[in-house]
Amino acid sequence: MAKWLHMVSRRVVIFRALLIFAFLGLLSRFFYVQIIDQERYFQASNKNRLRQVTLAAPRGLILDRYGEILVDNLPAYSIYAIPNEMKARDSVFAVLANLLQRPADDLRRIYRRERRGPFQRVKLARYVELPLLARLEERKMELPGIVFDVEPRRFYPAGIKAPHVFGYLGEITETELEMYRDQGYEKGDIIGKKGLERIYEPILRGEKGYHYVEVDALGREVRVLKELGEKLPRPGKNLYLAIDAQLQRFLETVMADKRGAAVVLNCKNGEVIAMVSKPDYNPEIFTRPIPKTVWEALLNDPGHPLYDRMIQSMYPPGSTYKLVLAAAALEKGLVDPDETVYCPGYLRLGIRKFECWKKSGHGSVNLLQAIEQSCNVYFFRLIQKVGLNPWVEFSRKFHFGRKTGIDLFGEKDGLVPDSTYFNNRYGKGNWSRGQFLNLSVGQGDLLVTPLQMAAFAMLLANRGIGFRPHLGRMIEDPITGDEQYIAPDTVWVRGISSRTWDFLHEGMFRVVNGEHGTAKLANPGRIHVAGKTGTAQNPHGDDHAWFIGFAPFEDPQVAFAIFIENGGSGSAKAAPIARGILRLLLRNQKIRIPDAMRLRMD
Amino acid sequence: MPWDSQELKRVDFGIVFTVSFLLIAGLVAVYSATQSSSPALANNFVKQIVWVFFGTIVLSIVMTMPMKWFKQYAYLVYLFSLGLLVLVLLFGKGQGAVHRWFVIGPIRFQPSEIAKIATVFALARYLSEEQRDFANPKDVLMALAIAAIPMALVAKEPDLGTALVFAALVLPMMFWAGLSLLSVFLFIAPVLTLVSAFSFWSFTITMLFITAVLFLSKRGPKIIIPNFLFNIMVGIVTPILWNHLHEYQQNRILTFLGLKQDPQGLGYQVLQSKVAIGSGGLWGKGWTHGTQTQLRFLPEQHTDFIFSVVGEEFGFLGVSLVLLAFFFLLWRSFNIAIECRSKFSSLVVVGAVVIIAFHVIINTGMTVGIMPVTGLPLPFLSYGGSALISNMILVGLILNAGRRRFQYL
Repeated sequence: MAKWLHMVSRRVVIFRALLIFAFLGLLSRFFYVQIIDQERYFQASNKNRLRQVTLAAPRGLILDRYGEILVDNLPAYSIYAIPNEMKARDSVFAVLANLLQRPADDLRRIYRRERRGPFQRVKLARYVELPLLARLEERKMELPGIVFDVEPRRFYPAGIKAPHVFGYLGEITETELEMYRDQGYEKGDIIGKKGLERIYEPILRGEKGYHYVEVDALGREVRVLKELGEKLPRPGKNLYLAIDAQLQRFLETVMADKRGAAVVLNCKNGEVIAMVSKPDYNPEIFTRPIPKTVWEALLNDPGHPLYDRMIQSMYPPGSTYKLVLAAAALEKGLVDPDETVYCPGYLRLGIRKFECWKKSGHGSVNLLQAIEQSCNVYFFRLIQKVGLNPWVEFSRKFHFGRKTGIDLFGEKDGLVPDSTYFNNRYGKGNWSRGQFLNLSVGQGDLLVTPLQMAAFAMLLANRGIGFRPHLGRMIEDPITGDEQYIAPDTVWVRGISSRTWDFLHEGMFRVVNGEHGTAKLANPGRIHVAGKTGTAQNPHGDDHAWFIGFAPFEDPQVAFAIFIENGGSGSAKAAPIARGILRLLLRNQKIRIPDAMRLRMD
Repeated sequence: MPWDSQELKRVDFGIVFTVSFLLIAGLVAVYSATQSSSPALANNFVKQIVWVFFGTIVLSIVMTMPMKWFKQYAYLVYLFSLGLLVLVLLFGKGQGAVHRWFVIGPIRFQPSEIAKIATVFALARYLSEEQRDFANPKDVLMALAIAAIPMALVAKEPDLGTALVFAALVLPMMFWAGLSLLSVFLFIAPVLTLVSAFSFWSFTITMLFITAVLFLSKRGPKIIIPNFLFNIMVGIVTPILWNHLHEYQQNRILTFLGLKQDPQGLGYQVLQSKVAIGSGGLWGKGWTHGTQTQLRFLPEQHTDFIFSVVGEEFGFLGVSLVLLAFFFLLWRSFNIAIECRSKFSSLVVVGAVVIIAFHVIINTGMTVGIMPVTGLPLPFLSYGGSALISNMILVGLILNAGRRRFQYL
């Protein structure tokens, strides 16, 4: 022991005691953490590194009746930020904003709103195009903490976007999450918002799978741990539509510069072969949060592209509706079809003057001539004879005033005004015959959708047998190859004699083929077409043009309704479109020419 | 030996082996901590090998140099290191407003590492001089100042962890040099008062304890009364001063003391470290198989949290082995301090022991959440050249003193 320390022993003891005390303290702490608490920390470390990763199921495709893909999936890229890795946040946002062509404040707002922790990634942008991604990759050095990932996106390889038919997808909302709680949806899932995507969501969606992956602290997946079990996703089923892509494309093109709707049905089973509502919009704008300006532009667009004119917009049907009154009058025996009525071009009732569309008048016309030439005065007089109630009865018989039940979302009922309606609207006793005189020519309070008119044409074609219009034709399981056809629901119109049907057919035949017919322009040649034009007066602007009908006359295969909003007269504007449709179908041999016609041509 | 003529003992191989073991353990852990990551980090293993090699050379040189040279130049070295500390504040590099390093070519070095050793030299020389009298307040204050000046400069960098090393150094060295236990207590007492002053009851109990010790020491009223009054004053003034601090200043102090989690997520780091160590269990998950380490849940895993890697991959057994190695190293070194005939050498060894012990206790304690996160590396194991070289110098000094323990200088 060193001499300079005279009381060294006490100091040595204190030093040694402190050293022993410190290391015993440390060891016991480690013993506690590693031995006694081991289980707890072990589980925590497992939870740290294991993550159950959901495997998204590929969404089912939508195809046309011949198997042409209409709606397909495309990998899309989303951009994420990892807060912990984001150095120099302002400059990162500046570079990113520049690349994405979006204000940096936007990104910053999303970032602040969505941030959940230093290691949780924040989705900044969805559906980034590949070229942009490449540019992003090039400038990766300037973008620390910015990563991207794949997510599915719809695209339309057939060039048919038809947003009113297909609808679109979007991220699930809180309300939807609440609604479909027991169906396994999770936050961030993509769900069908409108149209077929919404109606057939349970079929197209498929079933998610999962597996376990080992992740690092940044959430990067290091490897899949197969031994812990995995469930492969089950792809959504493919939906084959009744739509004929060629006809649909044609119709989209023809209607492109118009406002209106057109529906073509297979009148043998109610399949929708084509249906268009114009103007429409690009469904892809809904794939990301819509900028306020774009949304307002859509809402304020005078063409109202968001309205689905096929099933959601209601219009007066005009003269096409004369057929309903004719059927009622004939069936009730309230008219002698051969009796003529003189049309001077107007009808005076009290102080009011009801005009025929032909100012000079039709002269003397019987029922058949009145249908062929669409004389208003004849039908004004007819409804005076028939009365409101039989008209309402037959309107209901033809399924007006209620949904057709098509497989689309948001269909409207239309409106068949009856005496209850009039009482409510105008007060009991405050309405008179004049009020419903207009109904005879499809004006006034009567409202229909273009789809209802197509279904009406189908009922006429089949002499009272109709089918629920439907777009979906077959559902295919991509794994098993099982094909499940969607059976058509039948709709009957009972209590109409074949004499009446014959009469209505004859009238409709003459509309297209008669000397004075209003729809001569609908004649495609090679087959006979039957139909009825309508020109609905519109207090807000130009008349709406209607044409409904079916073909071939001898063996009806298609029924259609063409509606042009503010288009003018049905004869001039709507009928030629029907001709185009039929010519295309004939050229593609989609319409079987009846034997009788073939014989005549030979 | 060219510099020496007096009798030399053999090198303490116990210490050499222990240090070698710790260095190898460090390399093993650094390899595991860096192998799975980016190439930039993976280089660190090779760099660390170079540092170990370089450190061994430095150790050998320090070990063979005559101890009296250190004594002779102690104040010069001390002043030089103070100069470096001032320079680093003015021109040093670091992240943001932090000034800790000089960059010379590829090497980044921290003058605070030199300052630690220089302060040990200066204190050892000052305290070992014949005329020192701890009854003389001037001598005591002078010793305190020798530690306080570099401490303040390092704290300014700011590197509070390293600054605390200077505080930890001075009392044990003074005690070893002859300061009475009561005096040591009188130095610690105001700190106790300060901490307890925030609650009336803890303050009362602390004051009762201090009064009892003062009374039992049987010293005259000239010592008892001023000390008593000083502690009372500290107790009264502290809360008043505290309330005058800005909130961010309060937060800074609380965070430093580990009483408040800071916004940078030190709480997260410690939690992940505890999960790593705890999940290691008795045997550990095996080398390079620690999930916390390999998946980079562990923060700073090759530097400050290297011991968590040991804990996760080698379990309680690995932890115990490393802790025992440190204990053995310190115990054995302290034995050298006891045997040294030269007071200067003995004090240098005690200083070296205190520095190493302080780092080990604070660092390993931090990994299991019983010490604040201060950024002190674990000697010999943590990656980093400056710290390794300075620790190797300390061991070189210990071995040097051991070989010359019968020399009077």
